[in-house]
Amino acid sequence: MNTDRGAPSTPAAAFALPAELAIDTDIARRVIAEFIRGQLGQAGFQRAVLGLSGGIDSALVAYLVAEAIGAQQLLCVLMPYRTSSPASRADAEEVVRRLGCASELVDISPMVDGFYGSDTDASVLRRGNFMARMRMSVLYDRSVTFEGLVVGTGNKTESLIGYTTIFGDSACAFNPVGDLYKSQIRQVSAAIGVPDEIIRKAPSADLWPGQTDEAEAGFSYPELDRLLFWRIDKRRSVDEVVALGFSRELVERVDRMVASAEFKRQVPPIAKLGPRTAGIDYLYPRRRPGSARR
Amino acid sequence: MDSVRIALAQIAPQLGALEANLVTHHDLLEEARGAGADLVVFPELGLTGYLLQDLAAEVAMRLDDPRLTRLVAATRDLSAVVSFVEESADHRLFISAALLEDGEIRHVHRKLFLPTYGLFDERRFFAQGDLLRAVPSRLGPGIGLAVCEDFWHLSVPQILALDGAQILINVSSSPGRDLAATNEVGLGTATSWRTLMRTYAQLTTSFVVFCNRVGVDESISFWGGSEVIAPTGAVLLSAPLYDEGLFTADIATADLRRERIGLPLLRDERPELHVRELSRIIAERAGLAPDMTSQPGAAPGLDIAPADPEHAPIGFRPGGDG
Repeated sequence: MNTDRGAPSTPAAAFALPAELAIDTDIARRVIAEFIRGQLGQAGFQRAVLGLSGGIDSALVAYLVAEAIGAQQLLCVLMPYRTSSPASRADAEEVVRRLGCASELVDISPMVDGFYGSDTDASVLRRGNFMARMRMSVLYDRSVTFEGLVVGTGNKTESLIGYTTIFGDSACAFNPVGDLYKSQIRQVSAAIGVPDEIIRKAPSADLWPGQTDEAEAGFSYPELDRLLFWRIDKRRSVDEVVALGFSRELVERVDRMVASAEFKRQVPPIAKLGPRTAGIDYLYPRRRPGSARR
Repeated sequence: MDSVRIALAQIAPQLGALEANLVTHHDLLEEARGAGADLVVFPELGLTGYLLQDLAAEVAMRLDDPRLTRLVAATRDLSAVVSFVEESADHRLFISAALLEDGEIRHVHRKLFLPTYGLFDERRFFAQGDLLRAVPSRLGPGIGLAVCEDFWHLSVPQILALDGAQILINVSSSPGRDLAATNEVGLGTATSWRTLMRTYAQLTTSFVVFCNRVGVDESISFWGGSEVIAPTGAVLLSAPLYDEGLFTADIATADLRRERIGLPLLRDERPELHVRELSRIIAERAGLAPDMTSQPGAAPGLDIAPADPEHAPIGFRPGGDG
């Protein structure tokens, strides 16, 4: 048996990949390519639009979309705010250059500053969420002008712990990487050829200079990914994961984060009144025969 | 027939698009005929797609549906297994697989086990079949039909083999999942199915034919990997994962005879033992007989004794000396 299959092609030092999280990247890319083509085809679209931040998640999705439908069918929209890191923008531009896809730069500073004006009370959290929703609005507008579906770029780790903005970065027509943990995002990124600098750099929401996810949250992605994998995918109890070596304090904290974010992962409930209600007892595939755009 | 050429139609049905899928079936029947196939096998719900939900009733066909009749008519001098949503006269919906031969419906197998757990929700939308039968075929060897989850229950391949099937045919819409790099073929689902099919072929000394679809319904991707396994467990055909296509393999009936004579497992089966012990288990579960494996003091039909028998619910208190 070949247990090396799917192992990262870059040196192991590029990132930590817990053994239990290693996946067969060839099969992952194949499934994702079919998924992307299927989602577009069923909806009657040939093109895709995504927001490219310079981080690893959106870079990987850009590569996956290009692999599935060709880079000429992809529009990457770069949407920095005035405090966003210039290095992020440079990384995003490098992805665009390497893929040869269409790109557009939309500075969201006037939109955000226009709303908050001189409101100095607005917290970083409020501003960050607002920026995410402005970017969503831009993408859905470009979905019309470019005639492409908006592709989501959120990963499984951040979705589980709720590190997303509801109706912001989580808004999309479909998401090809939402079932990949951050460690697996890195593994697939290495396999598909995402620039090494993007794979190596510390993940960041880029809400303020020097911010990193891991410093803010207080744990490393490989550790968090392993914990989530055992708790959720492998259904291990708190005591069982503590026996695996995780601190009880961390386990309980992450459990709370996961539980608190449940609402972000689901469609809002509709009050049940009539005989048939969408999502409850009116259940259809998202794309029905005859529903495609053309 | 001394040799049977089997064609596996590893297709990607369009969800809910019955007319388009019918065209695909007609086209592939002709293509297989041109390739000299004796038997053409299509995947589970190949005529409708899998994740139908409330669309199931809208694509359901009765066995006398003219669209089905036209497909049946296209099997002159050919055997085919096709799968669709069947509506019974009393308006139950089944996931059915039909053996079509020489322009007739030879047999209809209604899926017996409807997975309703994990990513599956079949029992919500479909009725369970109640009939498990091997059927004679123009091909010579008897045929046993099963649909996907049916093969996750040991009794199904065994009963089919005991009933005379020499070719066990499973049609599937198996969603691929678990990409752990440690899996034998990089996909947990494929690894599990391969283990099952090789085991069943050997234990029933039968040919096992597995036709799984490809393509995408909503979130789930179907992995293909259709196979033909010899009674020895040897792999005669292993179609690629995820690729659409028509794949053929020839099976020799002499191979099955040789295996069954050399390894007479079926001869030595004890169906009466099954019936006797299963009857006992059924009676015990229903509380109609003492349960040998329940805790002492457990009420009839329950397997755990109350901590304090005096405070057990009325009707569950053990009587006499238990």
